[in-house]
Amino acid sequence: MSAKRAHNEVERETGHGTDLWRVIAAPIIWAGHFLFCYVYAAIYCEKAGRSASLDHPTTVVIVATLVALAGIGWSTHHIWRVRARSLTDHDFEYEHNTPEERHRFLSHVALMLCVLSAVAVLYVTIPMLYLGTCQ
Amino acid sequence: MTDKAAEEKRLARVWARPRGWGYFSDVNNSVVGLWYIAAAFAFMLFGGALALIIRLQLAVPDNGLVSAETYNQLFTLHGTVMMFLFAVPIFEAVAILILPAMLGARDLPFPRLSAFGFWCFLIGGVFVCGSIFFNAAPDAGWFMYPPLSTEQSGIGADIWLLGLSFIEVASIAAAVELIVGVLKCRAPGMHINLTPPYGWYVLVVGAMILFAFPPLIAGDFLFELERAFDWPFFDVTRGGDPLLWQHLFWIFGHPEVYIIFLPAIALLAMIIPTFAQRPIAGYSWIVLSAIGTGFLSFGLWVHHMFTTGLPSISLGFFSAASEAVAIPTGIQLFVFIATVMLGNVVRTVPMLFCLGALATFIVGGLTGVMIAVAPFDFQVHDTYFIVAHLHYTLIGGMLFPVMAGVRYYYPFATGKLLSRKLGIWSFWLSFIGFNVAFLPMHLTGLLGMPRRVFTYGAERGWDTLNMISTIGAFVLAAGFLLFVWDCVRPKRGQAYAPRNVWNAGTLEWVGKVPADDYGLRSIPQINSRYPLWDDKDLLATIDEGRGLLAHAREGRRETLVTSVLDAEPVQVLRVGTPTWLPMLAAIGLGGTFIFPVWKLWWLTLGSGLFFLAVLLYWLWTGTGEIPEKQSKDIGDGRRVPLYVAGPRSTGWWAMFITMTGDLTAFLAVLFGYFFFWTIHTDFPPVGVDGPGWQWPLMAGGLTLATWTVTLGARFANAAGQVVLSRILLGAGLLGAAASGLALMAGPWTTGLDPTSHAYPAIVWGLVVWVVLHLMAGIIMQAYCLARSVFNRLTPTHDADLWNVTLYWHFTGFCALLTALVIGGFPLLQ
Repeated sequence: MSAKRAHNEVERETGHGTDLWRVIAAPIIWAGHFLFCYVYAAIYCEKAGRSASLDHPTTVVIVATLVALAGIGWSTHHIWRVRARSLTDHDFEYEHNTPEERHRFLSHVALMLCVLSAVAVLYVTIPMLYLGTCQ
Repeated sequence: MTDKAAEEKRLARVWARPRGWGYFSDVNNSVVGLWYIAAAFAFMLFGGALALIIRLQLAVPDNGLVSAETYNQLFTLHGTVMMFLFAVPIFEAVAILILPAMLGARDLPFPRLSAFGFWCFLIGGVFVCGSIFFNAAPDAGWFMYPPLSTEQSGIGADIWLLGLSFIEVASIAAAVELIVGVLKCRAPGMHINLTPPYGWYVLVVGAMILFAFPPLIAGDFLFELERAFDWPFFDVTRGGDPLLWQHLFWIFGHPEVYIIFLPAIALLAMIIPTFAQRPIAGYSWIVLSAIGTGFLSFGLWVHHMFTTGLPSISLGFFSAASEAVAIPTGIQLFVFIATVMLGNVVRTVPMLFCLGALATFIVGGLTGVMIAVAPFDFQVHDTYFIVAHLHYTLIGGMLFPVMAGVRYYYPFATGKLLSRKLGIWSFWLSFIGFNVAFLPMHLTGLLGMPRRVFTYGAERGWDTLNMISTIGAFVLAAGFLLFVWDCVRPKRGQAYAPRNVWNAGTLEWVGKVPADDYGLRSIPQINSRYPLWDDKDLLATIDEGRGLLAHAREGRRETLVTSVLDAEPVQVLRVGTPTWLPMLAAIGLGGTFIFPVWKLWWLTLGSGLFFLAVLLYWLWTGTGEIPEKQSKDIGDGRRVPLYVAGPRSTGWWAMFITMTGDLTAFLAVLFGYFFFWTIHTDFPPVGVDGPGWQWPLMAGGLTLATWTVTLGARFANAAGQVVLSRILLGAGLLGAAASGLALMAGPWTTGLDPTSHAYPAIVWGLVVWVVLHLMAGIIMQAYCLARSVFNRLTPTHDADLWNVTLYWHFTGFCALLTALVIGGFPLLQ
């Protein structure tokens, strides 16, 4: 969240504005994690041969997963206040014409994308826990 | 005559469509959108006719209706046409038609670009489709897998590669147009949380096109280098690998499925609330699922390659991602179901198509979850089970929603309603015919019938199921033809539909019937998501010209540009007027792509130069114009500037978006380099010592210098030091040329022969890619220099220089990275 305010931005009840980048931060972390795991395992298996054990990559992928989840958690933490604010007035439609409402809407979308991204990151990690070799 | 009446008359004159032959020089979105839709449907009918021949051939065992060769061309062209000439373009076509009205804009920001995209699409499409009449159509499947497509004789593969690369220009042009449209052309007050769901989907799909299509363009680039010049990217005997093509193709090919599906779902998101007569349930959920699907769909490409022998762990990652994408997709469907359940549904034909679409898509989605499980995929890979699955998702997820959309928006586009009776008939014929045709294919597939075989023996036991499928296909075709007839039948005697015939809530329905060429009489302030339902004064405000930009006092076509998040007016943009330039440019560019099929290099060069000349004339006369005054009154006591530069301008955004796509394509070529490194134990191969590090180092340094002076030229110009700016631009010209030469000198002086092995080929491939971009950069610098000399670029009006500098950020980065990789990476080995 940028500390600098736009000239037309109203005083927010829930903090400063959320922008589009904040919304896609969690999916970008998912994409980074996914690409890293795939590329790392692909290169490892290509270079080490098909009978190579996956012990080492498993550790790497688990560490990468923890890093990715930490990143998503960090992103979630930043929008958590807005969520609390949204829950208290029981309005999930975000249909008012104010910068504050836009801010809460984007935060809501961002928060749900954090959940989706975290689930998707965990999904990607699961196969690594079950496979033993590059076969 | 009152002031208001005079205003209206002037607006009508300014936005009037050209008459006679001039009609085809029009660039207004409402006209180009209709052409686009008509052309896409014409290609669709052609693709459908091919499908019917395929089904006739398969109706009985040992059939001899067509030969194996013709059959190969038929199914290749059927897939190609449906994917590239119908499914993707129809999204762009529909969006170009309805988006401006939906957002409260008079037109999209670059109408001439829309027209250019349309002409590219039409020329490329006719070229690709026409090939089958000369027995020269591509015949290696719509995915063109090498080596089948590299080693066969004939020019079919060239037609596919070049024709479709050309059509992708249209797709990317439309993506640029649509993204900027949604971000910058919404009516004042239409904050991003009030944007119609369709706008969100367009935004997501536009962004997906930028990341999905460029890898295919990169793949086409490598593939055509192999076919035309024998550079062995995919030839195993010389260090290449066909799997590289499969990766590049499916990095495009899988997101493409969602590029097709999401815009169709977007139509449902507009239609269902109207007929449920209530706002969509869970607006933010649908935005979440659109964005989530957009991202996750990129993690699925290898699920098309489960049987290519990749390590199980790779399959595991992609299987997991394929299952994960079901979550946001499911959310979308539940949002629709919830909206229907919470509302009072009006029974109409578009709604019937919507419900048919949901039912069909759910079946396709469920089989998709099955196929995402790798072992099941091993079993049914390349069988008719897959054919059934993909047709359920594409017809349920795309064709039926588009048919619903056409029926729904028909009165918007033409003022006339379609026949309810014909609609119901066409729906049931299509729906029943579709299920009769494709449901049995699940069984045919499980019984082991492979795809793409032109016939089969009677002893296999597939004949009854195939006969049922064929009968179903003809019933589906009958339903579709009825639909087409309903759309094209003469309606002169038919009365116009009432205004806002469906009692919809969104802005596109405020237009009068028949529609005015200028769209909205005036641009209103928007305060809600369904303004027509919530604001009872809206129609009066618009019609009486009490909104913004109610006039065209200077006789120019204008639309309002607003800020990205909160839609505050920031500029009055003067948009393009009718001209033949987009068509001429498309013809020139078309020649550049079409002549190489026959290796007519001089004609190719001539076409390229013609294209360049037209393009420069178009830019010189039509863009970055310095207005006669700084700002203008748009009504309601507001004044906004007529000229803005840099990130506030639409041109800068267009350049940024285009360059994002371009960077993706470059990274795809670079991926080729590292792909070869992973599969070879020695890379570079033993005995090859090019391109060395010295020349690449020099090229990298020169690139950095060029990049810096170009940026310096912008700063100097903005500071009023025009002469210094021109000198720096001139230095940039020389620097760019020198860095290109230095880049080529590396592989040249070390004798790298691109036909000998994949390593020199990919090094040269990267160099060629960057050199082409440096040449474009040189032209841009020269253009700015000339603009500056002719006082069309001044310290306060420097949009061109901003855009060219932005181009150089990307090109400089690509050139530097290329120099580092080809010069530095071999040192690490």
